[in-house]
Amino acid sequence: MKRTIMFFTMIALIALLAFPIMAQGQQEAEDAGPEVVGFDWQSRSGETIKIMANKHPWVDIIEPKIGEFEAMTGIKVELAVYPEDQFRTKRTVEMVSGASDVDVFMLMPGNSLAQYYQAGWVAPLDDLMASESFLWPEYDLDDIFSSALDAGVKEDKHYTIPILLETSLLSYNKEIFEKYDVAVPTTMEELEAAAKKIYEGSNGQIYGITLRGKKAAATSQWVDFLHSFGGEWLEGDKSGLGTEAAIAATDYYGRLLRLYGPKSAPSNSWYEAISIFMQGKAAMVYDASVFKPNYEDPTKSEVAGKVGYAVIPAGPAGSIPHISNWALSLYSKSDNKEAAWLFVQWATSKDIALEGLLAGIPSARNSAWDSSEFKDNDTTPEWTAASIASYEVASPIWNPPVIPVGECRDAAGSAIVASILGEDVRAASLAAEKTMNDILANQ
Amino acid sequence: MRRNEKYWFTLPALTVIGIIVVFPLTYNIYMGLHSWFVAGGASPRWVGLNNYVKIMKDPRFWNSMRVTFLFSIGALVLETLLGTSLALFLNREFRGKNLVKLLFLFPIASTPVAVSLIWGMMYNYDLGIINIAIQALGFEPQLWLASPKMVIPSLIFADAWQWTPLILLIVLASLESLPTDPFESAKVDGAHIFQVIRYITLPMIQPAIIAAAMIRSIDAIKTFDMIYVMTQGGPDIASENLNLYIFQTGFSYFRMGAASSLAIILFTIVLAVNVLLAITRKSGDLS
Repeated sequence: MKRTIMFFTMIALIALLAFPIMAQGQQEAEDAGPEVVGFDWQSRSGETIKIMANKHPWVDIIEPKIGEFEAMTGIKVELAVYPEDQFRTKRTVEMVSGASDVDVFMLMPGNSLAQYYQAGWVAPLDDLMASESFLWPEYDLDDIFSSALDAGVKEDKHYTIPILLETSLLSYNKEIFEKYDVAVPTTMEELEAAAKKIYEGSNGQIYGITLRGKKAAATSQWVDFLHSFGGEWLEGDKSGLGTEAAIAATDYYGRLLRLYGPKSAPSNSWYEAISIFMQGKAAMVYDASVFKPNYEDPTKSEVAGKVGYAVIPAGPAGSIPHISNWALSLYSKSDNKEAAWLFVQWATSKDIALEGLLAGIPSARNSAWDSSEFKDNDTTPEWTAASIASYEVASPIWNPPVIPVGECRDAAGSAIVASILGEDVRAASLAAEKTMNDILANQ
Repeated sequence: MRRNEKYWFTLPALTVIGIIVVFPLTYNIYMGLHSWFVAGGASPRWVGLNNYVKIMKDPRFWNSMRVTFLFSIGALVLETLLGTSLALFLNREFRGKNLVKLLFLFPIASTPVAVSLIWGMMYNYDLGIINIAIQALGFEPQLWLASPKMVIPSLIFADAWQWTPLILLIVLASLESLPTDPFESAKVDGAHIFQVIRYITLPMIQPAIIAAAMIRSIDAIKTFDMIYVMTQGGPDIASENLNLYIFQTGFSYFRMGAASSLAIILFTIVLAVNVLLAITRKSGDLS
């Protein structure tokens, strides 16, 4: 007992003694700030930055390396990671409260930048991007794909720095294609014929294709069918969900799943959709290119090494996939923007981009794709070729280009689910169009 | 001073209630009279009762009401019947009785999110153990959570797995505390076991059953975690109850005014059910 008391007394004494030292340390860091001339990783040593991230393979790569950044800069990093749905909600609630102490957060400009920009929650980065004191000379902004960097521009100012650039690909199981004598489809008709041939040839044991069918989640892949059929989210400033092209696309998407896809499609998001493909129960999947590492991981996937990759087959309006990217943004009310900017540069540097690409995360940096290190170690050149071909024809739009994104996605999702369930697609599409127009009128 | 003493003593409790109950509720009612689309960073705008007018015309609201009541009534009936029957069955001395009671505590003690994740996996059409099991028995695999018709019964079943034991334990505790003499007299008079249950046991444990049902019904009406984890209200909106719709409106669509109005409606329903059950309990009349 006595010893315990002694122990706690000692701790208390040490803490008391250490306090002035720590406080002094902080004081020095604050003083050092304005004197910086020229770039120095250590210029913001002693500051603490908070980062909000969603659970993403890219975060798995940088998380173990944060210690290196802390050692190099003397900046302390607090990283909080949330699953994607909760992440989006939590991030917005923090912003709305106006009392957030977060400095850096992940953001998909195609999904949320319009909203975050209008609400004034993101800080413009142009001063930091041009700053002699804070732009790392080796950072090389020109190396980043302009399509990815431009996705973060609002009224001539940059608000996001891309960490990756993804697209969606048609991935297919070569073994099944060979067994049922099916060629890689290049048109929507061929795609449906291939799905049918495999599903019927296997007596329904192998699904022709698996796609997301879960309401809003489905829209980010369905949109490529919409565009390839000649439809758009918006016709002028009204909903385009009820046009003939949109109805045809929704009908086609739902029909593929209803006739040749998994019965559970209406409750499948990306996780379930790709799981079915990875178990060899479906011949094809159309989803984000970032899932390649999952398909090719023999510990998780039974189709590793058997997967081929292609650009979305052409519809009446051509082959129109989309590009999208996760990015980092600075909170407009952050007190540590310079330290946060140092982190952003480190986290999106050439080295980390290359490391990510080697792990299968499609980089937003030219140098990574061009490097001999990647080319020599590329185990899936088909994926690389298909990704680059897809970037070239892709549309930057995948979400409705409006502020109430979630509501409009839900509206379109209802029509998709109705189509999968074999209900009246025209009626459902027109209802979705009306709902979306009501939402837009009621912002 | 003496006279007012009792008020002084209740003050701390009243303050706490004021902060954690009265203020949020009043503020919620107030917000429900505004239109506030926070996603754009706009400020609240006074709209009077307009939110309620819109809600009354909103098919999605009526769908959520239907789901709320189907789910709650289904879960309540199933759990009360099962829980009471099991309690009657277990109300005897046998070896390992305490172990059985302990085992029944596990579902209640588990966190709903973990339970729902496991049920979600078990219900999976292609990969779930339930379909594998019924296929082994020669039945067709079922869609469970992926079919608009099956989803509510499937959710009720999972809910019953977790919450039937609550009713069972409350009723069992009441059974064990009953006096023995009425049963002895009945035995002497030659009453059949079903007559004993119908005319003696059930009337005597009725308050316990009503109390248990009351707790469960309020929880069932407010269910969120289980449905959110297992279906997120899907397919489409087939399992979206009122609480989920409030969450969607508030935290996915960021329409805080409309969400506040919906929350007030949910609050009124829960309050009404409470009052109704309290009255039933006082009048002590089940039949």
